[in-house]
Amino acid sequence: MLQNIVIGQYIPVDSPLHRLDSRAKILCLLALAVIVFLANEFWSYTALVTTVILFVVLSRVPLKFFLKGLLPIFILIIFTFFLHAFFTNEGAVLFSVLGFSVYSGGIEQGVYISVRIGSLVVFASLLTLTTTPIDLTDGFESFLRPFKRFGLPAHEMALMMSISIRLIPTLLLEADRILKAQAARGADFAKGSLRTRLETLTAFIIPLFVRSFKRAEDMATAMDARGYRGGEGRTKLRVLKWRARDTIACIIVAGVGVVLALLRDF
Amino acid sequence: MKQTKTFRLVMYAVLGSMAAALMFFSFPMPMFLSFLSIDASELPVLFAALLFSPIAGIVVAGIKILLYTLFMGAGDPIGMVSNFMASLLFVLPVAYVYRHFGSVKGLIAGLGLATVFMAGMMALLNYLVFLPAYTWLMDFDLGSQGLLSIALAGILPFNLFKGLFISLLFIPLFLKLFPLLQEKSYGAHLQRKTAANQ
Repeated sequence: MLQNIVIGQYIPVDSPLHRLDSRAKILCLLALAVIVFLANEFWSYTALVTTVILFVVLSRVPLKFFLKGLLPIFILIIFTFFLHAFFTNEGAVLFSVLGFSVYSGGIEQGVYISVRIGSLVVFASLLTLTTTPIDLTDGFESFLRPFKRFGLPAHEMALMMSISIRLIPTLLLEADRILKAQAARGADFAKGSLRTRLETLTAFIIPLFVRSFKRAEDMATAMDARGYRGGEGRTKLRVLKWRARDTIACIIVAGVGVVLALLRDF
Repeated sequence: MKQTKTFRLVMYAVLGSMAAALMFFSFPMPMFLSFLSIDASELPVLFAALLFSPIAGIVVAGIKILLYTLFMGAGDPIGMVSNFMASLLFVLPVAYVYRHFGSVKGLIAGLGLATVFMAGMMALLNYLVFLPAYTWLMDFDLGSQGLLSIALAGILPFNLFKGLFISLLFIPLFLKLFPLLQEKSYGAHLQRKTAANQ
């Protein structure tokens, strides 16, 4: 559990998708989120599924990580499928169970909508699986920068995000340490009445808070001591660079959109 | 401790990642709908809102939900938005009521009020926005009667329970931690109060 969270979603393999600029990937995801809804009949859905499979293969991320991303939404997909299978009354009657007639149109619609939701999730997973959280934050910051003149603190937001991302593994490690320390003193977090459980939970959360406050204080002092004074004129260790392949990726996604728009049934 | 801008930035970030970390340990409640799960991630958000400002609460809630999305995947964007809204609807009333009264009684009143307010508003928002968004995604019309019954029978009691759960966790935490923090005079409004006394 701890190990799973520490590495986050990012799968460090080398692939064409990994090498893309995070800004290009964010733009492509936004476009794909719209494109998915263009599909509305057999051939456009076939094109959509082909695109999904192609991108998944291109990412060289093992399939099980996509399935893990689908897990939280799995109930919704199954539910959607059966809802359509039983309540959409189109096409020929295939069979009847307990007074419900299942129509071919219902099955078809159920499969289509499940594919639509599934594709959305896979596209979103592609972004987080092939991009490190820090790169994503940098990408978002560069999109937010133009809004600076309207008073949006883009630099501060990105800085806070980077600090938080860095702190997640540290905090989880610390939480683990506190849990073990309390367990060594005989605390049992899974037993007892609701009242005792709340009390033991408090005994876990209070040290976590106290240590975090201390950590924030130290970090702020360290930053001030090193002369941190906001985003003005600050340079970066890692600079995002838009390359030809990023433009090509955007063109490919636009092409997918055009194909689906042509195939769809108006 | 002098409260610099850097300190506040770092503090929001720390509280935000704490909230996200607590959110990883969420668990579904057996008596409620399976997609509703409960966690203690509102505690750092509450702390930010009470110690610093309501805006700080919004910032920390935003960091929390973004981090969670980055680490757990963006499979359920509607759920993310509704979780963020629930945070704000709960934390902001607590912050305003507490600031007005500034005592433990004020805090308890604020938590009670916020629980009812958040549960009511979330039922309304689910009925008007989030559930229709899901049914739109599923391309299936549940009918306004169906939506209403999910909102009233499923969402409303869940959020009342969630508010109560967070309040029960937060009160002892607040009682134990706040004297300590006051001593260090964190928090803009606490500082202002001491300045006014002098």
